[in-house]
Amino acid sequence: MTGERSAAARAVGATKVYGSGAAEVRAIDDVTIAFDAGRFTAIMGPSGAGKSTLMHCVAGLDTLSSGQVFVGDVELGSLSDRQLTVLRRERIGFVFQSFNLLPALDAEENITLPLTLAGTRPDRAWIDAVVTTVGLGDRLSHRPAELSGGQRQRVAVARALASRPQIIFADEPTGNLDSRTGAEILTFLREAVDELGQTIVMVTHDPVAAAYADAAVFLADGRVRDRVEGPTARTVLDRMSAFEAETMGRSR
Amino acid sequence: MTRIALKGLWARRRRLVGSFAAVFLGVAFLAGALVLGDTMNASIGRFFGQAYAGTDASVRGATNVSDAPTGERGTIDAGVVDRVRRVPGVATAEPVISGSGQLLGRDGRAIAVLGPRTAGNWLTDPRLNPYHVVQGRAPRADDEVVVNRATAIKGRLRVGDLTAVLTPQRVPVRVVGIARFGDEDGFGGTSFTAFTLAGARRYVARTPDRVSGVSVRAASGVSQGELVRRLRGVLPAGTEAVTGRALSREGMNAVTKGFLTMFRAFLLAFAGIALLVGTLGIHNTFAITVAQRSRESALLRAVGASRRQVLASVITEALVLGLTASVAGVFGGLGFAALLEEVFTAMGAALPVGGLVVTTVTVAVAVAAGVVVTLLSCLLPAVRASRTPPVAALRETEAERPGVSRGRAVGGGALTAAGVALLAGSVAAGDSMAAAGAGAVACVAGMVVLGPVAARPAGALLGVPLRGVTGALARRSTAREPRRVAGAATALMVGIGVVTLLTVLAASARTSVRDTVARSFGGDLVITTGSSIGGGFDPRLAGDVARLPQVRAAAGLGTGGARIDGRAVRVAYADPAALARMLDLGSAASLAPGRLAVSRTVARAHGWRTGTPLTVLFADGARRTLTVGGTYEPGGPAGDYLMPRADWLAHDPQPQDTTVLIALRPGVGTTEGERAVTTAARPYAAPDVRTRADYVEAQASGVNSLLTLVYVMLALAIVIALLGIANTLSLSVHERARELGLLRAVGATRGQIRSMIRGESLIVAVFGTAGGLGIGLLPGWALARAATGGTFAVPAGRLVVIAVIGALAGVLAALRPARRAGRMDILRAVAE
Ligand SMILES: Nc1ncnc2c1ncn2[C@@H]1O[C@H](COP(=O)(O)OP(=O)(O)O)[C@@H](O)[C@H]1O
Ligand SMILES: [Mg+2]
Repeated sequence: MTGERSAAARAVGATKVYGSGAAEVRAIDDVTIAFDAGRFTAIMGPSGAGKSTLMHCVAGLDTLSSGQVFVGDVELGSLSDRQLTVLRRERIGFVFQSFNLLPALDAEENITLPLTLAGTRPDRAWIDAVVTTVGLGDRLSHRPAELSGGQRQRVAVARALASRPQIIFADEPTGNLDSRTGAEILTFLREAVDELGQTIVMVTHDPVAAAYADAAVFLADGRVRDRVEGPTARTVLDRMSAFEAETMGRSR
Repeated sequence: MTRIALKGLWARRRRLVGSFAAVFLGVAFLAGALVLGDTMNASIGRFFGQAYAGTDASVRGATNVSDAPTGERGTIDAGVVDRVRRVPGVATAEPVISGSGQLLGRDGRAIAVLGPRTAGNWLTDPRLNPYHVVQGRAPRADDEVVVNRATAIKGRLRVGDLTAVLTPQRVPVRVVGIARFGDEDGFGGTSFTAFTLAGARRYVARTPDRVSGVSVRAASGVSQGELVRRLRGVLPAGTEAVTGRALSREGMNAVTKGFLTMFRAFLLAFAGIALLVGTLGIHNTFAITVAQRSRESALLRAVGASRRQVLASVITEALVLGLTASVAGVFGGLGFAALLEEVFTAMGAALPVGGLVVTTVTVAVAVAAGVVVTLLSCLLPAVRASRTPPVAALRETEAERPGVSRGRAVGGGALTAAGVALLAGSVAAGDSMAAAGAGAVACVAGMVVLGPVAARPAGALLGVPLRGVTGALARRSTAREPRRVAGAATALMVGIGVVTLLTVLAASARTSVRDTVARSFGGDLVITTGSSIGGGFDPRLAGDVARLPQVRAAAGLGTGGARIDGRAVRVAYADPAALARMLDLGSAASLAPGRLAVSRTVARAHGWRTGTPLTVLFADGARRTLTVGGTYEPGGPAGDYLMPRADWLAHDPQPQDTTVLIALRPGVGTTEGERAVTTAARPYAAPDVRTRADYVEAQASGVNSLLTLVYVMLALAIVIALLGIANTLSLSVHERARELGLLRAVGATRGQIRSMIRGESLIVAVFGTAGGLGIGLLPGWALARAATGGTFAVPAGRLVVIAVIGALAGVLAALRPARRAGRMDILRAVAE
């Protein structure tokens, strides 16, 4: 399933097991997948399919039970906690569903947080460009509590872009937003890929959101089941219905 | 509902460890203090019971010049003994002679013990004598003595050794026996050297016609009361008879009312401080846990719990916590009492020891105090919890924390201002204690109220030295929670405040004493009895020293008890003219015989002036009228009352000097003079010879040993305050799990997280310490001036040490929370 392009991140035989014995859950099971550089990939699947687990493992937030994960050429399993931290700080950006921002810091400080933590000076021009792109110019000195849900997610997207990471992971970034605000955020992500050349991996269960991506990967029961290039809401929905039918048929 | 509360308590048990520890420590201290007091009380009772177990009655002089019934009394006519012996119902009657007697150890110096150093006669009736010989035998010749075992051990003396006793004249003696007092090696810290009756007459009483008293044993069938009634019939005026039971009660009361009451008050005061500091810490913890549970409370309300039920659930929780911690604290108190005993013994206080005495009262008081304190600390948070509206459960984001109210700023500001005004007023009005006290209370209350108002700007300011992004984050976090910061800091503030206040008071007292002594004393050398009580030296020493070619003048000074206008006081006696050559005696320099000089403080207090007639009652029962012949500066070696030596000697059979002031001839170096005086003092069992500077310093340093004890006690309060800070931090770490996880996700290293928490802790601790220094120094200024009559000294070195300890407390408090924060699971931030 690997494309001809170089992969920004990839998993090989990735397996994550929670619990043991009868309570054993294989959250992801022997997943091999590559996320192409400069592309926007959506990870789709029903709730409990292992989407978040896969993302956490590829992003270095969690460790695998077996298999390997690479970000660029770096194999994450061989890294110490400190090296992992530095890798996340410098090469990975995150957008979570909720609680993306530190309440004590204002919007601008939240955006530059990874740079501040690394002790590097933010590239002013780049930050300005990012801020303008996400349309936060007049909200920079506001605290998260003074921002709307949509604005908070825009700050989160801006933060993810601020360090020009090799890859950005977004877990249900529009899950808590209404459809219009959600559409705005997705547009920014799309623009980041098209105009800034970013690589983005987004977890979602919303077919409309998946339609913004270049490719959609389908996960079910911890395994990759399918992949659609240039997905539309229509094709994605069709695939999902097909899966559901299949799953129900199996369980019958 | 109770079940829900208990379940909640169990679920949160780890977060309550800090509160538990605070209550536990406070209660343990309190219970320990009570147990120790009771234990000492019981042992003292046993002691006196033992001392007078075989004595049915005692005859003694009726005049008591001290307020304690056991205090100094004059001697009585020796003829009384025979009169007593002839009373029907008397089985045995033995004369008792007792006085001061310092036994010299193997090194030729007076053996230093913690109690009085006494000499007397060995009672031959074993039932009248509380001592019994355990080695050697009773004395048979005038120069043979029995020594109590503790003193013998201390002086490294054995049976058969030759040494001497100063009564205060030097009496060469041979130790023929070692005695114990009941089951102990001595009576408390008292040293006892027993001669034969003849020896005691010759060397201690120094006359065959006087004795200190008569110990009487009744014939069988005669009660103590009956015996005393019969004795009264034959006693001459000026003597009295008391039962053995009354005697032991008097002895016990003297110790319990005096030393033990003070000792208990002292311990209880610190237990109070420990509990107060604990309360502040627990309050903060409850406030935080309740706030963290506001969703939960709202949910309970939404599903139908009444306000009262929510209130009750929080209070139940506090009750259970308070009760378990207090009960555990009582057990801890037993250990603590044993520990305190060790500490005091190690610091040199001879405490009668015995099995720990635990009374129901102790248990009840300690448990009640712990429970009440816990309930008080949770009251406000509980009320707040019960006011949570049900809709709070449905709110998406947590509500903005309530800021600091204006009323607080205004009220706290007004209180502080009023306090400062009172303090300044006190100093302006000639150092009034009342105004200083009121000002101190207002000031402390005001600053505690102002804490949260000051926390935000202070946190921002104090955080400035914290470097880098973690410093900035620490600064932000503290600024976001001013109430919490102030809450955690207040406990430390109170602890540090008390330490600072006492340090300042002690330093001021020290400076005041040093200044007074330095100002009034113009000599070069001083001979003193050192640190031991009971006993001085032969008054002839002053004469010997005065005759040295290196010495220009020397004056001896003794002290004794007397009643002046009915009040029991210490009187110094000396040759005023000789004394005035070295000591500034003001208008008392030319004090004529038959006159009395008093310090200006005493004169002012009683409205006396030169010429005022005063009635003086001496220990021997004589009553004389002496007029005030002059006044002098207080605080010097002459104390508050000074009498010409001749007037005193007429009433004291065993006079001794406690101080000799010496001025050297011009041209004689201090070292040379010191050497000469030391040589001259050697036959007098080598009392301490000090230079002027040493003497002044020694006079001032009396305050210090007490301060050490105070520091030991207050260390506990600081530890409890530290627990409070650690607890607040832990809760805040727990609460910010998502925040910390997020920080880790976007690239903060574990080290950065730890240093952030450390920074927060440091800000809280420095804030508390600074406030504590403030509430110690500001009231300390007025209080010290009022207490010393205008002296205020700032011991900069000690204050720096206190500040450093405060800051260190911050670092220590952060250890565990920081480690936990560093280990925080990243995914907790990400998982919903
Ligand atoms: N910490 C965990 N402990 C145990 N099981 C877990 C844990 N996290 C996730 N799982 C299980 O792993 C599976 C995949 O979870 P997740 O990756 O969160 O799915 P998705 O994000 O697709 O909804 C689920 O069955 C979930 O119950
Ligand atoms: Mg998920």
